[in-house]
Amino acid sequence: MTDQGAIATLSGVAVRMGGTAILRDLDFALDGGEVVGLFGGNGAGKTTLLRVLATLLRPSAGHVDVLGIDVTGDDRNLLRGRIGLIGHTPALYPELTLRENLQFAADVRGVSPSAMHDALGAVGLGAVADRRASACSYGMQRRTEFARELMLEPDLILLDEPHSALDSSAADLVGHLADGVAARGGAAVLVSHDRERVEKVVGRTVELIGGKLR
Amino acid sequence: MWPQIRAVAGRDLLRERRRGEVTWVTLPFGAIALLLIPLAIGTDAPTLRRIGAGLYWIVVLLFGVLVTVRRTAAEGPADRDLAHRLGIDPAASFSGRALANTSMLLVFQLVVGVVAVALYDLEISHWPWLIVVLPAAAAGLGMLGTLAGSIAAGQGGANLVPFLVAPLAVPLLLGATQALDAGLRSGGGILSWVLLMVLVDVLLAIVGVLTARPLQETL
Amino acid sequence: MTPTEVSVRRRPWLDGIAAAALAGALALAFLTPPEATQGNVARLFYIHVPTILVAYLCFAAVLVGGVAYLLTKRPSWDHLAVASAEVGVVYTGLTIAIGMVWAKPTWGVYWTWSARLTLTAVLFFTYLGYLALRRAIEDPRARARRAAVYGILSIALIPVVHFSVLWWRDVHQAPTLLRPDEMQIDGILLAAFFAGLVAYAIVAVALIARRFDLAVVEEAVERELRSGAGAIAGDAVTTPQLEPRP
Repeated sequence: MTDQGAIATLSGVAVRMGGTAILRDLDFALDGGEVVGLFGGNGAGKTTLLRVLATLLRPSAGHVDVLGIDVTGDDRNLLRGRIGLIGHTPALYPELTLRENLQFAADVRGVSPSAMHDALGAVGLGAVADRRASACSYGMQRRTEFARELMLEPDLILLDEPHSALDSSAADLVGHLADGVAARGGAAVLVSHDRERVEKVVGRTVELIGGKLR
Repeated sequence: MWPQIRAVAGRDLLRERRRGEVTWVTLPFGAIALLLIPLAIGTDAPTLRRIGAGLYWIVVLLFGVLVTVRRTAAEGPADRDLAHRLGIDPAASFSGRALANTSMLLVFQLVVGVVAVALYDLEISHWPWLIVVLPAAAAGLGMLGTLAGSIAAGQGGANLVPFLVAPLAVPLLLGATQALDAGLRSGGGILSWVLLMVLVDVLLAIVGVLTARPLQETL
Repeated sequence: MTPTEVSVRRRPWLDGIAAAALAGALALAFLTPPEATQGNVARLFYIHVPTILVAYLCFAAVLVGGVAYLLTKRPSWDHLAVASAEVGVVYTGLTIAIGMVWAKPTWGVYWTWSARLTLTAVLFFTYLGYLALRRAIEDPRARARRAAVYGILSIALIPVVHFSVLWWRDVHQAPTLLRPDEMQIDGILLAAFFAGLVAYAIVAVALIARRFDLAVVEEAVERELRSGAGAIAGDAVTTPQLEPRP
């Protein structure tokens, strides 16, 4: 990605679930090179918005374009592998070691072994990479996910509560990953309650209130 | 496509090797079923020798399908998100998982087969045909289980999958039993039953690949 | 927010025609002379054969509904699929039950391992599985999609099941209709049979239409539960009210 065009455009997006409107008539534009902080109270719909951006959730109404592709259109498979996501629960196979978990992602996406090795080093897990994920702390699992995203180099990275479970020495990973994606012309969205830490990393903040962005 | 298939199959096999659910639960369960049946229907040796092969295939069908619903094969929401994030082609995902299931079923068939031969004193003079019949049955059951697993994913699949698989596995069951029966008697007619199994395998592969996208897509 | 009004179409004329056709078909079945060797029990065939033929058509409709749903994503195709599947399962069950009632006095047993009998039982359980699957999936879109795939899978394998079972063995009565070389069934019997076929087809259409309407209402209820545009997420969660400890 080199162009600094629109990374994501949402217009009139609504999401309803189980009798509750989570998002309604929401507009949002995300440009290349941006790192945006997304705030909001418990249950405001931050994670839902992130899942819409990740093309994991189909909005009940409205239009979503990500990386220039209509996410409900026929071209959506072109988005495969280009959107990075670190969610609440670590998406790791508990039976596999941290290295094997990364190896799987590398095999699927055709990433070189050296890039994987570098990513493990960058998150400070080089020495414990052969431990099974089930035997690792939540923080180590989170770091592994950061390594995965560093290695896969997505065009859009979505981070849900990125600072949770990261110790102070690892907190810089958040900015490192987000800035790296933005520097390549992509964009990052950070969802958090922790304004203080996130505001140091982001260039712009938005707040989700009443199902809309302010 | 092929690297993804290999990665998915390798992941499933490695996870099973670590967790050992098939090895330590499903396999002994199948073996004990072979032990229990004569206790219920009588231990007359000639009878068991005559119907033993059929009993073996019933155990492979009803217990072997449990291989495909082992815990590491169940796709939780986090697994689905990850597959989506990594951009695994749904058709590659189906093929990889079916490949892993087929390999595990083949091991299941071999181990339970040895138990059946030992317990029921089965005739295996026609064993070369097993080289074709066992993999053909394993592939069919593996693909059927994979498909049913995706169809019933996250909805009490462990109960639903065997029910969805059993009626559609009729041609595999007939193909396997009749081929070996024909082999025992004269050697004639085996080929047509084997071809039937191959036809089922091909049909399942086509349906599996074509429906992978609507089955696995989240949008 | 006022609940969405869903108007259910009433089709008294369709129900009327179905009832009349059924009455006519039954009357014709009793007007036929008793069969030479089997006697009155042979009249069951005027229900047995038409119901299974209509059941086949129902399962074909399940396939059509499923494929069309996957292509268009329009819920009405899914409604057609579920309605046809339910009617098809009932008809198949009816065929089997009536066949068993006929078989006991004729063959001396309720069940024999004929190819067609076995196949019909497989068909029954396959589509029972289809209905069980639908019950298990809550999200309407996922339910429609996965049920469609199972419907396609079933149709793809049913012919193979059919021929494999046929090949395996067949003692079931060979087809007596649709054999032009020698007509084995004469005028009034043929009339009774075709009247049955038409009547059970019309009854199936009436049942499918009603079940389709029910599916439309179910969909509206599900949508209603999912919408509820009044409540806004987040508003329901308020600042904790902490009383100072005494």
